[in-house]
Amino acid sequence: MDFPFLTLITFIPLVGAIIASLIPGDREREIKWFSVFVSLIPLVLSIVMWALYVQTDGGMQFMEEAVWIPTLNAYYRMGVDGISIPLVFLTTLLTTLSLFYSAYTIKKRVKEFFVLFLMLEMGMIGVFLSLDLVLFYVFWEIGLVPMFLLIGIWGQPKDRPQYSAIKFFLYTLVGSVAMLLAFIAIFLTTGTWNILEISSLGPLADSPALAVAAFWGIFLAFAIKVPMWPFHTWLPDAHTAAPTAGSVILAGVLLKLGGYGFIRILLPFFPALFKQFAPFIGVIALISMIYGALVSMAQWDLKRLIAYSSVSHMGYFTLGLVAAAATLDVSDPLLTSRAIALSGAVLQMFNHGIITGGLFFLVGVIYERTHTRDLKAFGGLSAKLPVYYGVMMMTGLASLGLPGLAGFISELLVFRGAFHIMPTYAIIGVIAIVLTAAYILWKIIQYVFLGEFSEEKWRAIFDPEHWHFSLDMARFEVITMAPLLFFMLLVGVYPAPILNVINAASTAILGSL
Amino acid sequence: MIPLYWWLVVAAALFCIGLYGVLSRKNAIGVLMGIELMLNAVNVNLVAFWRYVTPQTLTGQVFAIFVITVAAAEAAVGLAIIIAAYRRRDTVIVDELDIMRW
Amino acid sequence: MEFFFNLVPLIPLIPLLAFAAIVLFTHRNNRLSSNIAIGGIALSTLVSWGVVLATILAGEHVQVEGWELPIPWLPTGTTVFNTGFAVDGFTAAMLFMVPFVCTMIFIYSQGYMNLGQPNQDPRYARFFAYISLFAAGMLGLVVADNLLLLFISWEVMGLCSYLLIGFWSFRDRDNEQHIDEAQVKRARAAALKAFITTRVGDVLLFSGLALLFSYTGTLTFREIFRPDMLEHLGSISLLGMPAVTVIALLAFGGAVGKSAQFPLHVWLPDAMEGPTPVSALIHAATMVAAGVYLVARMLPLFVAGFETANAPALQWVAVIGAITAFFGATIGLAQDDIKRVLAYSTISQLGYMMMGLGLGSLVAGIFHLLTHAFFKALLFLGSGSVIHGMEHGHHAAGAHGQTSQHDDGFSANDMKTMGGLRHKMPRTFWPYMAGTLALVGIVPFAGFWSKDEILAEAFQRWQESGALGLPFWVWLAGTLGALITALYMGRQIALVFWGEPRHEAATHAHESPNSMTGPLMVLAVFALIGGLANAPFLGSPLHHFMGGVHEASEVVHSATVSFNFAVAGLSTVVALLGLLGGWAIYRNYRAGEVEPFQRWLGPIFTLLRNKYYVDELYQLVIIRPVVWLADQVFNFDNRWVVDPLVNLVGAVGRAAADISLLFDKVAVDSGLVEGTAKAFNAFGGWLRQTQTGRVQNYLLVVAVTVLMLLGLYLYL
Repeated sequence: MDFPFLTLITFIPLVGAIIASLIPGDREREIKWFSVFVSLIPLVLSIVMWALYVQTDGGMQFMEEAVWIPTLNAYYRMGVDGISIPLVFLTTLLTTLSLFYSAYTIKKRVKEFFVLFLMLEMGMIGVFLSLDLVLFYVFWEIGLVPMFLLIGIWGQPKDRPQYSAIKFFLYTLVGSVAMLLAFIAIFLTTGTWNILEISSLGPLADSPALAVAAFWGIFLAFAIKVPMWPFHTWLPDAHTAAPTAGSVILAGVLLKLGGYGFIRILLPFFPALFKQFAPFIGVIALISMIYGALVSMAQWDLKRLIAYSSVSHMGYFTLGLVAAAATLDVSDPLLTSRAIALSGAVLQMFNHGIITGGLFFLVGVIYERTHTRDLKAFGGLSAKLPVYYGVMMMTGLASLGLPGLAGFISELLVFRGAFHIMPTYAIIGVIAIVLTAAYILWKIIQYVFLGEFSEEKWRAIFDPEHWHFSLDMARFEVITMAPLLFFMLLVGVYPAPILNVINAASTAILGSL
Repeated sequence: MIPLYWWLVVAAALFCIGLYGVLSRKNAIGVLMGIELMLNAVNVNLVAFWRYVTPQTLTGQVFAIFVITVAAAEAAVGLAIIIAAYRRRDTVIVDELDIMRW
Repeated sequence: MEFFFNLVPLIPLIPLLAFAAIVLFTHRNNRLSSNIAIGGIALSTLVSWGVVLATILAGEHVQVEGWELPIPWLPTGTTVFNTGFAVDGFTAAMLFMVPFVCTMIFIYSQGYMNLGQPNQDPRYARFFAYISLFAAGMLGLVVADNLLLLFISWEVMGLCSYLLIGFWSFRDRDNEQHIDEAQVKRARAAALKAFITTRVGDVLLFSGLALLFSYTGTLTFREIFRPDMLEHLGSISLLGMPAVTVIALLAFGGAVGKSAQFPLHVWLPDAMEGPTPVSALIHAATMVAAGVYLVARMLPLFVAGFETANAPALQWVAVIGAITAFFGATIGLAQDDIKRVLAYSTISQLGYMMMGLGLGSLVAGIFHLLTHAFFKALLFLGSGSVIHGMEHGHHAAGAHGQTSQHDDGFSANDMKTMGGLRHKMPRTFWPYMAGTLALVGIVPFAGFWSKDEILAEAFQRWQESGALGLPFWVWLAGTLGALITALYMGRQIALVFWGEPRHEAATHAHESPNSMTGPLMVLAVFALIGGLANAPFLGSPLHHFMGGVHEASEVVHSATVSFNFAVAGLSTVVALLGLLGGWAIYRNYRAGEVEPFQRWLGPIFTLLRNKYYVDELYQLVIIRPVVWLADQVFNFDNRWVVDPLVNLVGAVGRAAADISLLFDKVAVDSGLVEGTAKAFNAFGGWLRQTQTGRVQNYLLVVAVTVLMLLGLYLYL
């Protein structure tokens, strides 16, 4: 252990939050730009870390370990592998962009917002880095509180922010409690909280009933977070109510916590049980995919539509995960297919963060101008806001999986793996692809951008008094979107830099089950 | 030579006069003056005991000087409090300064 | 000459860069933008032709085995997926046609979009960006050495078709005159329809691709088509069929969507809502050709399934092709829109290509693809020129104050408003005639040779099998289709170019600029002589050039069909009859008359005019139920079951909380807790009486206490 990358990445936001909370509340400019600056440090560190990460080895690197709570045998253990690196990078990137965007758009209670956001970042990064169940759980819960407040305080009053915030909080907490019980059961039989060690021990092997209970307990926590059907209804409410930056982080990172948990904890702890229940979970994945897409298609609220599309897109992730878990065979053609499916699932998480994060920013763009998200209120905006149209088009196309953009690569990998391991599921799953194209193009592009532009309708929703930037996307909005667009294109055209680390890690994880 | 108990009687009388003043005066300044009397009664005692009981050491005298100093400080603080109370409540009658009641 | 192969990646890259350059930098400068686009595609054409020449000179080893450039791209598990480029005879043949036709269309577009005119299209630069991307997609598809790159290019084209068909789907500023509201709506719907319909096919192709990738671990054509790989695929059973057949059928599903075969043909006629050069681009050089190209490229898979297990993948291609060829042609008879007639003609001709491929003959299908690209591009550009002339005539008529009473419904595309244009637009008329003759299949025009080869192939298969099997029906559909094709083309040219002008716009129509008629003439030359590329009396050069590309798979064999005078003669006679018949019937058609076909065919004509009601059927059977289902699922989610359940759990929790609260308040709180508190409270209330707040009282207490203590001390 030479340079404590992981500790720094995790706790610099916390230090920043403390310092920011000491700045007098009326110096909003300083608070905003200080927070943005602080969030840049973990971003830079995570890029450096990615560059230093040895890609040929799929295992944990940059490990740190220290005794934390001796009576509990809990350690401060951290480490990254190819699964967590892209997700940490995603977190730091989206946080920086969200803070940057919020610096222009948040008007009330500025100090609290930025302080909470930095604390949220710490919680999220901590989950991706911790290798100790206690630490994992602590970070998992830490993230809840700032998000709860972000939704509740900065939510749009007409979207019932308190209801949504409480729903989000309680829903997640139910899962957390189940998970905690399972963790304790595991600790009592293995005597350690070390995630890697437990993975190699195979916990609860001698008490199958308890193992099943623990499996479903942990499953519930992660399934709620992902979210899988039918545990998804907190998502549209939370998304709709949250401020733009909150939605971005919610979709971009918080959902990934659940996905990451599946790969880091549930799959290695209980590979045999996962295999046993794979057909069932696969059905849930398919339902999430198709059901989410259908419900998206029925929406007239732009933000709610994108929220439901997250359910659908995270269904692809689950399908990839299930395909990777549906067999324990590590002989070559199957291992390759499983690794491809798992890599696809991880890449799908990354892509979903980039793309859906972008979509939520774009909803923010139009919402800040018009204060409505009703699809019927728009129309013909492509003439009025051509840059916005172009950016939305590209992001939407990435979301519907157009080859050449990010979404396609992960979908391809997921289906490539799934078609080999569980072909029936894959065949049903492709229906979702058509539906996705339908709701993106029909609902978003057509209702918002195409058709006749009506000056009258526009004047009813747009009040130039309240908008001080340019009518088309302002410079800060373009700057916010630019990195996301870049990654959509990069991953779509040349995914190797990202996929190399993911692939090495997923091969290693599956090989060691 | 005057016997010790004469001094003690004087001091006791002085103390009682002071105590009476403290308990019965309506004016806060009067109360303060009563306290001064009580302190001085103590001083008389201290000096008297020093002279008659332990003339070799200076303890009694030193104590008396301490008491005088403390009395001066006490008078200053007490007057300041009274002035502050007067400014705020427009009175120095202690019966009226009863905001701590119940 | 081998040097040129190294430039292959540039072929799709140059138009792609042109697209990027226009979008990012030059979109404010219209003339520069279109020049970049045209320059890009022209450069790409030069490189392509260099590659074609190199392939010709390199001889058989390149034409058959191909030249390859693999590029490691995607780490997949323990392996790495390669993408890359490849050139063989087949690719070279496509490379000859695609960029060249694109170049012609690009040049034409400059005139069509009125560069420098007052009515120049407000999104002129964007148009050229899109068509550059379109061309890049098609070229990428052609030079791809693997199915994935092909699929990526395929989807890029799908996107471009969406953008271009919907090009007029929104209004920019108020000064856009030639776009009416109805057209905006139609364009919007058409673009969506095109994308979603082809997406259905794309998803099938995507599934096929994923399956193929799963079973073979590679998508590179050369490796998939190795005999052992095909055998391996044939031995896996999937859904009761050999996997190879399933994959082939799924891939064919993609082709059906892209090449507008029945039953996914519905998007193509609507795609006419885009600007005419786009129609030409979609119908000739790109997009629809992609589907045929895909089937041709994957032919070993189709054939392998056919041969190993007698599975019907290949037959399906022929059947769908024959149905489409006949069915598309009949609809063409009853359309009034000049471009829609051509659109159905394209559907029908694509059916011919599929027929050719479905009979197992790579060269016949591709030969028709190549010649068709030239003459269909010609016809579309010609129709665009006619429409352009009519629009100008309409404006001119408006300027002269001669607006007619039914002017509101005027459509520059309606053939019934045209008439007698051969005198007004001679430089459009003659190339258009060349295109018509080529399409109908009159000797020695290009279409004759290519269509004849397909029919001869079918005829020969029929003769070999001797029964009235599939080849016979294919041949019959083809021949009948040829008759109907000739009929509707006769009707079209008679309505457009002969007779009297039936509208002021036609009276005032005038010839289009040189940038438009120039490409027409160039293409007309190819429509005339293009057939020589594979003419039997020259020894079928194309056959030798690209016939062998699938030899390595050991399942596809190239055998020339000898020229059959009976077949050729019959189809020529049929074509002449149809053309002259259609022309004679419609030559003297006057405005407002019930047209002859309608008079004779009655309800059948109505059926044809409404395209067999397929659109309505889909609306009823697919679109409405899906939208309905979406709404119901949403209700299920939000209103009926899932979310109410969540809220119910919340409500139960709250109710339980309320009950506990009640218990807590009554028993625990007021009894125990508050009782204790009350007792203390009462005691305190009594005790506080001592607190008078008077310092002297307190002091008195102190003094008394001291005295009492003193007394106690002294007397006890």
